[in-house]
Amino acid sequence: MKDIIDRIKTKYTISEVVEQRKNLSFVTVSKEQAISIITFLRDIEGFKHLVLLTAADWIENDKFQLTYLLNNPTEKIDLGVRVFISRENASMESAHHLWEQVATYQRELKEMFGIDFPDSPGVDKPFILEGWEDIPPYRRDFDTKQYSEDTYFPRPGRESNDPAEYMKKKLYPNE
Amino acid sequence: MKLKDILSPFTAWKHVVREPVTIKDPFSREGADRYRGFHKNDIETCIGCGTCEDICQNAAIDMVPVEGIETKDGDSGLRPQIDYGRCCWCALCVDVCTTNSLSLSNHFTWVDEDADVFRFIPGVDKKDWDNEERGWKKPEPNYELYEKERVPMRELHPEERDKSFIEMVKGYSKEEAEREADRCVECGICIATCPAHMGIPEYIKAVREDNIEEGFKKLYETNPLPEICGRICTHKCETVCSVGHTGDPLSIRWLKRYIADQVESEDYKNILGTDGIENNGKKIAIIGSGPSGLSAAHYLALMGYQVKIFEAFDKAGGMMRYGIPEYRLPYDQIDKDINYILSLGVEIQYNTKVGKDVSLADLEKEYDAVFAGTGLHLGRSTRIPGSDHENVYFATDLLREITQGKEIHVAEKIVVIGGGNVAMDITRSLARLQNQKYGKVDVTATSLESEDIMPADREEIVESREEKAIVDPGWGPTSIEIENNKIKGLHVQKCTSVFDEEGRFNPKFDESQTKFFEADMIVESIGQGMDIEYISKDIREQMEFDPRGRIIVDDYFQSGAKWLFVGGDIIQGPDVIHGIANGHRAAIGIDKYLNEKA
Amino acid sequence: MNKKRFTINEDRSLFPEKNAEGKIDIDLSSHKYLKLWQGPQHPGITGNMSLELTVLGDEVMDCETHVGYLHRGFEKLMERRKYIQCFPIVCRVAVPEPDFNEYCFASAMEELAGIEVPEMAQWLRTLVLEMSRLQSYLMWIGGQSGAFGSGIIGQWSIYLRDLVLDRFEELTGGRVYHMYQLPGGVRGLLPDGFKQRMEETLLTIEKFMDDIDKVMFNNAVFKKRSVGMGYIDPSWVNKFGITGPNARAAGIPLDVRKDYPYLKYPELDFDVVVGKDSDIYTRADIRRKDLLLSVDLIRQIFAKMPEKGDIKAKTPNVLHWKVPKGETYSRAECTRGEYGYYMVSDGTEYPRRINVRGPSYTHAVALLEKMIINTNIADVAGLMVSLHTYPPEIER
Repeated sequence: MKDIIDRIKTKYTISEVVEQRKNLSFVTVSKEQAISIITFLRDIEGFKHLVLLTAADWIENDKFQLTYLLNNPTEKIDLGVRVFISRENASMESAHHLWEQVATYQRELKEMFGIDFPDSPGVDKPFILEGWEDIPPYRRDFDTKQYSEDTYFPRPGRESNDPAEYMKKKLYPNE
Repeated sequence: MKLKDILSPFTAWKHVVREPVTIKDPFSREGADRYRGFHKNDIETCIGCGTCEDICQNAAIDMVPVEGIETKDGDSGLRPQIDYGRCCWCALCVDVCTTNSLSLSNHFTWVDEDADVFRFIPGVDKKDWDNEERGWKKPEPNYELYEKERVPMRELHPEERDKSFIEMVKGYSKEEAEREADRCVECGICIATCPAHMGIPEYIKAVREDNIEEGFKKLYETNPLPEICGRICTHKCETVCSVGHTGDPLSIRWLKRYIADQVESEDYKNILGTDGIENNGKKIAIIGSGPSGLSAAHYLALMGYQVKIFEAFDKAGGMMRYGIPEYRLPYDQIDKDINYILSLGVEIQYNTKVGKDVSLADLEKEYDAVFAGTGLHLGRSTRIPGSDHENVYFATDLLREITQGKEIHVAEKIVVIGGGNVAMDITRSLARLQNQKYGKVDVTATSLESEDIMPADREEIVESREEKAIVDPGWGPTSIEIENNKIKGLHVQKCTSVFDEEGRFNPKFDESQTKFFEADMIVESIGQGMDIEYISKDIREQMEFDPRGRIIVDDYFQSGAKWLFVGGDIIQGPDVIHGIANGHRAAIGIDKYLNEKA
Repeated sequence: MNKKRFTINEDRSLFPEKNAEGKIDIDLSSHKYLKLWQGPQHPGITGNMSLELTVLGDEVMDCETHVGYLHRGFEKLMERRKYIQCFPIVCRVAVPEPDFNEYCFASAMEELAGIEVPEMAQWLRTLVLEMSRLQSYLMWIGGQSGAFGSGIIGQWSIYLRDLVLDRFEELTGGRVYHMYQLPGGVRGLLPDGFKQRMEETLLTIEKFMDDIDKVMFNNAVFKKRSVGMGYIDPSWVNKFGITGPNARAAGIPLDVRKDYPYLKYPELDFDVVVGKDSDIYTRADIRRKDLLLSVDLIRQIFAKMPEKGDIKAKTPNVLHWKVPKGETYSRAECTRGEYGYYMVSDGTEYPRRINVRGPSYTHAVALLEKMIINTNIADVAGLMVSLHTYPPEIER
């Protein structure tokens, strides 16, 4: 694994290498170099299999993290390529030309996180949510609880008590 | 196309004559022994801690009051109600249940047209499956969702400690404290039992999250003597801890001590934000610098009052300093708590006994209000024949003299009469002194109460024995044998019961069973009485007393003489935490009284 | 290669020509085409998804997979729940294969938290994963033959699946959602007599599998409709992210159990089942053999597992378990291929992000959309089931 990372380093800039376990590492790369590195890994280093592409919302840093998890089926090792992109007008170069399933992932990311992948086939078509008008729901600032409270109604007649509060009320209300 | 492939499928016809496998009556099919069906709850065992509600990811559980179940110490009086419209039958509520009262039956079929019947309180609303043995129970063994065993406290070895007065409990390290704090389920059942109603789950959470400042602030909201309480509190909270029902209760006291130990004296004001309190110009006098007096002083000072404490001895702390041995509560820790209170502008006038050096009437004139927390200092005697001998002592006197650094009489063979914490304190102190003087221990503590009902903390009894003192409970003293004006020993008879059926003190003895403890010194430790001589007759006339001579106060510890507030051991207890709670409450009462008066 | 590849209508004069990109320009206003919806009401045994087909005559010209009929937002729900509270919901991601979700979730969490699962619990986990594989294949086999018009296999296989579910009920307390593999271990030892009852179940399954072999696999109709049909080229495997039996049928021996050994699989003796023709028949046959392999593995597990042992490691208090900051990916071989959980922890009591990687994500969208072109509409259901897709893992 280390030699692969060393080889990437001769050509590209990578930061923050984390060896999670013997056969799984994560590297952080820049948005500009990401697709090039991934192509390099696929074509030269044998990471022919894309396990998944997903995002995580680091709202406190105003960043989205994109993770391209690549797998080398011969060496049986995984490499997670992390790319941090700005949350504002989030956009990333498309990788649909590298694997056929990427277009689906990118369509989902557009819908769920609002990350745009220009030129990705069908990226603007709704994937799971039809007629969704709220903010992309997998963003951290989308409050699922609030949404369900606004959208659905609770069953009447339910009321609970906090044991400590209730005991105060019953045993020492004036203290 | 092979002929075989055309003919082979026809073999399916042989199944025409097979016995059908369909279950004819699905309603009578029984679930497996572990099946997760409808809930059962043993409501007698359940304490309504609400941990089941906390873990339920579906919000299917509500804690509701139940008629006939009283809210009391250690039981919230609430019981879980399950909404089967939301329950996902994961049974985590069962696995996490602190008392093991909750379980699931293996019943799973129930048809009804009314959706509301599927919301009920297991164990209260009777169901067919209440007595069903089968169903999901918490897996056994070695299956816990939180640690049931307490993180052991490191202590000095008995051999190391039985010669010296060095503090024996070492305190938790950061790792140990966080591990212990992790065991808390945050139910909050303990809060009601703590006389000061401290925010226990909150400060334990602060320990867990390594947020000492937050925890420290929490402590001072209700308790201005955390170093002291963290060492010698009677920790009633731990007796009701929900985790204690199926494991060891949380070490609440040691966690409190851990927080206080982490903060340096010079950081107190900074963390608590108590710099520059505005003086409101009113003056309060406090009699006695024990826990109640110090607590009242602290909270009054925070409100801007100018507080002066009158203390009979030359050091502050009352019973905490003069009653509790140094190996349990080192003097520097007492000073740490007290010095902070003094830094808030509280003054102490030492060596001033109210009633002798200054009169209560003078205080009334000079101050806007007075708080008296004078405690119980007078030793009580057994009054058995021989108890007036010069080598019969009161425990409180000896303990005080040890603190004052006076040389006390230590005989080779000593008997202590009493089974409370004070008796254990003097027993263990004398054991140390005997060790220093004679190189061996020969002290016996004997109490009226049998071992199971001895009022002393369990660990005190265990540790006394570790230090080679003998604890021999269940005997009533009858006489002290004296020969040639020298004590030979103590005669006792078997005590069969201490309290009568109505729970009143009324000991019964078996005179046929007697014993003789050889001794040349006897210490009495059967309780203390109050000394309120300083309250002059005209003031007493304004006050109310109950038939047993105790002062009657209102919810704010205000006596019949409106300017005089009384609290601490003479009202409630005797222990430190009640004193602290009384002092705090009285401070609020004084503030209220003065505001209303103005 | 195939003896006989499935052929499409030889006379292409009626069909539009492909454009420069190799695609067909579909002009709906020409009235030559028909839009046909396959689904969303269970178009096979796959669960709720739908295929929007554009057909010309009885041949599919274009296809688009639509999902979203059972989106429950699990990944988002988990961000708002404590780790222990995620445990009861992960199994609900995929109805027929709850245990793989439980395992991947638990193992990802255990890896981040540095928790070693006791030996006994590892054996029990291996056991339930194989039992789960067994019942999932049994459910699938009925679906596959049903899609080609043979209902009888489904009746048998659902009965067999129910027998496995009976065993699940005994062991885990639940039939469909087992909620058994708690982070740190499992929730119970084998009940008394379990091995014997399981053995009886296995014998019944083996007996019926002989019948299924005769009635389904040695069946002229099934062969006629499946041999040479639904070809997956081995070169597509990496291109489309194909895993599991779909890849193995194409001769690529992908099996997480062998490639990335987990739990007790290294101690079990088995070979990866590989085929070569890569058509519907081969895939069905691979799954049949895999099913029988599971039967064998369960017997091996029983023979090798200890009688007693700890079922759960000590973990922090689950009510406020903070998993250390970090991210990881944990995978397992489910019946359809590589199942995985990508977990990101920010060091709090709540997961920061969990992404569920189900094999159907690639199989049912990109791959199916490609494979289905030029298929006869009568074969669409069979083709779809032969990929063994489950929409719940596409939309979670």
